[in-house]
Amino acid sequence: MRSVGVGALMAGDPLLSVRDLHVRFATERGDVNAVNGVSFDLHEGQTLAIVGESGSGKSVTAKTLMNLLPRSARVSGEVTYGGHDVRALAAAGTKHFFGVQMTMVFQDPMTSLNPVKRVGEQIAETLRYHLGRSRSEARSEAVELLDTVGVPEPARRVRQYPHELSGGLRQRVVIAMALACRPRLLIADEPTTAVDVTVQKHLLDLLDDLRRRRGMSMILITHDLGVARGRADDVAVMYAGRVVETADADTLFADMRHPYTEALLRSIPRIEDPVHHRLDPIQGRPPESIDPPEACAFAPRCAYAQSDCLNGVPELDGLLGLHRFACLHPTGTERGAAAMSANQAAGVTAAGMPVGGDR
Amino acid sequence: MARFVLRRVALLLAVLFAVTFLGFAAMNLLGDPLVNVVGVLAELDCDAIEAGTAEDTTVDAASRDCDTVAAARAEYHLDRAVPVRYGLWLGDMATGDFGTSFQNDQPVSQVIREKLPETVILLVMAQAVALGLAVPWGVLAAYRANRAFDRGSTVASFGLLSVPNFALGVVLLYLLALRWQIFPSAYESDSVSGLLFSMVLPALTLGLPLAASYQRLLRTDLITTLQEDYVHMARAKGLPPMRIMFRHALRPSLFSVVTVFGVSTGTLIGGSLVVEQIFGIPGIGREIVTAVIRDDFPVVLAIVMVVAVTFVVLNFLVDLLYSWLDPRVRAR
Repeated sequence: MRSVGVGALMAGDPLLSVRDLHVRFATERGDVNAVNGVSFDLHEGQTLAIVGESGSGKSVTAKTLMNLLPRSARVSGEVTYGGHDVRALAAAGTKHFFGVQMTMVFQDPMTSLNPVKRVGEQIAETLRYHLGRSRSEARSEAVELLDTVGVPEPARRVRQYPHELSGGLRQRVVIAMALACRPRLLIADEPTTAVDVTVQKHLLDLLDDLRRRRGMSMILITHDLGVARGRADDVAVMYAGRVVETADADTLFADMRHPYTEALLRSIPRIEDPVHHRLDPIQGRPPESIDPPEACAFAPRCAYAQSDCLNGVPELDGLLGLHRFACLHPTGTERGAAAMSANQAAGVTAAGMPVGGDR
Repeated sequence: MARFVLRRVALLLAVLFAVTFLGFAAMNLLGDPLVNVVGVLAELDCDAIEAGTAEDTTVDAASRDCDTVAAARAEYHLDRAVPVRYGLWLGDMATGDFGTSFQNDQPVSQVIREKLPETVILLVMAQAVALGLAVPWGVLAAYRANRAFDRGSTVASFGLLSVPNFALGVVLLYLLALRWQIFPSAYESDSVSGLLFSMVLPALTLGLPLAASYQRLLRTDLITTLQEDYVHMARAKGLPPMRIMFRHALRPSLFSVVTVFGVSTGTLIGGSLVVEQIFGIPGIGREIVTAVIRDDFPVVLAIVMVVAVTFVVLNFLVDLLYSWLDPRVRAR
């Protein structure tokens, strides 16, 4: 029951390190493999964006880091924070670790605040529990925090209930609550998905600004590559529970290799596109994660798919920390170009997806 | 708020009207109330006696039988039609005159004053037992949902719910009063502490099954609440499990328990009829049983009214409690 302080890290040591993380849920229909061998490092002060569709395993990964999975989850692999085994800390009931060292912001601000408690109380609560602040100290700190996250009239807002605030304000309250104890790592799980588009950018900029000012590290989980662009130092693209491509953000956006990353980027509307430009959605649906075939999970939806894509799961090539991708016919390479032209000539991919000639 | 209270008062009046009318009609139409007041004298044909065609069989010359009958008729308005009698009775009620018991000529208000406190103490203690047990029990069961403790408590609560009051009372009496002699087996009123102590077994008899049903409700609601994002958020904030349970999850999970708390008062009063008999408590429950058997309708009706008022007022308080439980209710 001791508390964990993480002092200065050795130069080059990551703050958070995840190795070969697997998460499996036993359901009545069979085991669901939500996360299949995810590894990454996050360094102090850096932002990692984990990008993927619903069901890609990105939220489960985040919840695993925070020890928020239901008991039915079977987790294996290693998660270390400043050299401490996070799952061991959680199992030992270590006080003042979650919430102080690392914490999380959830997708929906409408549901992530307790409806029956005043927002000030909800912020002050962590200050009192973790930092031993008195009631009045915690209250005035809560007001300051609300001010920091840009909530107008913070002294009045602390006495309000969540239902009296708009969605954007609520998410600011959630951010204030998460940041109250100055965590060194913030996991933001789709923090702007549930709020109005007009508010999204403000919130993302706020998070980025706070991260910079506090020297905090952040894991930004999103389905939107556009959100990751310009805000993340590193990007990991997840599909069907695996990281399929990862690199530093500049490399990834300039030189993407995985057809899924490419498809994700194409499915985002861009300001330079002509008016009424048709978006390029990804065909098909994400795969079932019960009894997946031993093949590249993206193959059925991939315009590059060749017969070798259907025999075995491609490995994530390369060294950790470098540009890595799990694809046999990567886009932007000769193999990829050859695969694409072969599929266009045939009009269909090896997995049976029709391919138009005009791509 | 003012409109809310007004609506409640109107409801209370409507309930009282319906309850007393039904009670009054039942007590007057089933059997002749005169028999209950004057006994065999009701058989006398006083019209004939007054007319001299029948013999006056009065033994005591100081009070003629027919005068007694006439006095009774006048007092209880027995020569008027039932609806008129109801109106007159209601008028007396409104002025605070609850009438006189047929059985012993005691004013009904005095009967109520004497018997009500015992029953109130019993019911309050029973609810305290029920809530005091159900909250920690439900919290633990939800925390350990579907594990051994939870499964065991499911069995235990269904057991408690299916045992009838009198059986549970007798078992408790045998074990805790006769066998292990922890609690007295009968009602004591020598001292306040003695009174409360002797009420423990009756309160357990009434409270245990209620605790079981509260526990079921609380457990289910808590399990739902524990899936909420704000509970995940509280965990992400690093708060310990029991703090999350009591500070975050418990209050939003109390709605069903509070609803049943309001409604259960009726059931509890029903249960107190039996329990007061078993443990010899001179309360309202025992009183109403004898009053019903003897067709003592002023007493029956007064008790029915007290129960109805309690029920409506309690449920009004429960409605106020909802808005304390959830601030969003207040806004509506």
